[in-house]
Amino acid sequence: MLRKRLVTVLTFNDGVLFRTKEFQPDYRYTLNFVDAWAVDEIVVLDVTRPGTGDRENFYGVVELFSERCFVPLSAGGGVRNIEDFRRLLNLGADKVVINTAALERPEFISEAAALYGAQCVVVSMDAKKKERGDYEVYSHFGARPTGQSPAGWAKRAEELGAGEIFVTAIDRDGSLEGYDNELNRLVSEAVKIPVLVCGGAGNWQHFVDGFVQGKAAAVCTACIYHFTDTSIRSAKKYLATAGIPVRTA
Amino acid sequence: MGTGTVAIVDYGLGNLRSVAGAVKRAGFALRITCRTEELEKADKLILPGVGAFGDGMKNLRERGLVETLTELVIRRKKPILGICLGCQLLARESEEFGRHAGLGWLAGAVVRLRPADPALRVPHVGWDDLVQKRESILFRGIAPDALFYYVHSYYVQPDDPSLVYGECDYGMKFPAVLQRDNIYATQFHPEKSQRQGLDLLKNFLDNA
Repeated sequence: MLRKRLVTVLTFNDGVLFRTKEFQPDYRYTLNFVDAWAVDEIVVLDVTRPGTGDRENFYGVVELFSERCFVPLSAGGGVRNIEDFRRLLNLGADKVVINTAALERPEFISEAAALYGAQCVVVSMDAKKKERGDYEVYSHFGARPTGQSPAGWAKRAEELGAGEIFVTAIDRDGSLEGYDNELNRLVSEAVKIPVLVCGGAGNWQHFVDGFVQGKAAAVCTACIYHFTDTSIRSAKKYLATAGIPVRTA
Repeated sequence: MGTGTVAIVDYGLGNLRSVAGAVKRAGFALRITCRTEELEKADKLILPGVGAFGDGMKNLRERGLVETLTELVIRRKKPILGICLGCQLLARESEEFGRHAGLGWLAGAVVRLRPADPALRVPHVGWDDLVQKRESILFRGIAPDALFYYVHSYYVQPDDPSLVYGECDYGMKFPAVLQRDNIYATQFHPEKSQRQGLDLLKNFLDNA
């Protein structure tokens, strides 16, 4: 039986691990790199704003992780074109996460899928609930509204060849209040490909809710206090007790 | 350090870096190469790979690797481990995007996963079981409930079921480990399967 995944998301600013809150830097936590056997998958994202810092630092991070972490590795953040995509794969990423570039030029998804296979194209979307209650996708690190609905965009991305969808609730980022499972369910039910959900996990029950209410294939956490092997293990134990099939290595 | 050298076959497809990292971690010296002399010198070969079957065979042919590898593996009996696409390329043919001939070392065809349950999504991505069907040097010290990382839409269906050493069930049973003489193949990625994957890889490097 295929297990549900618990994914660790690490965000990097100019090559330094850091945490965000509502998409703004939160420098209270610094590098805390653990060789965690219990983690199922790692996502590294470059959140360096354009014009600040040197992207080479992030490439160094991807290389470091690909050589030392024997789990699937996804990399992304600021991927603009096929050259950026290829570079991350060549550095050892198994999958590449694309966001704004895919919104601006949806064919990018098809081009990448045709060249490297759908399994390595992860389309990420950042979404926010609007005042009248429906959701909208934002581009440019959550800064610009796109007019697209998360479900509609997910469906389109799937048709174009995306292998997975990574959905983040902007308002929940760093909140520890739990995932936005209304958003997650909308996206999960719109597509047949796996959906990874992110933004807001603050306790183990939130992971269960992400799977059960949000219909996620994988729940992601970017919160630093989850980063130790022991805490991942205890999260897995909690999930298993709640009846969620997970890998409890 | 383990004894002997390992050549990771470079044919322009797949995540060579993580396979190299895993071999290094297992304590073996390695070369990432497509050169005949270096492949000849190696004691063990690994054929990794991610991507489409047709591209894989085309790349092997363009680099003259079909003849070289056939000489080394079939005639000189050098041990080889095929991983994921590298496992599928060992078969006779594939139905992925039209019909393509494979290396033909394992009598069988590469066919698409068609799980009976429509809720099961293809590609099959994530951590899943490896049911050990027959005793193999690859399985030494590997717990019967160990999980491995899979990411694929196709699998090898051998003509002779006795080639199946390990199995996975994704709405339908499919071979996860195939073996014939000096030829070993895994549909999952040992280099992405944490401790169990490293142990299985080391088993191949130590014992094959």
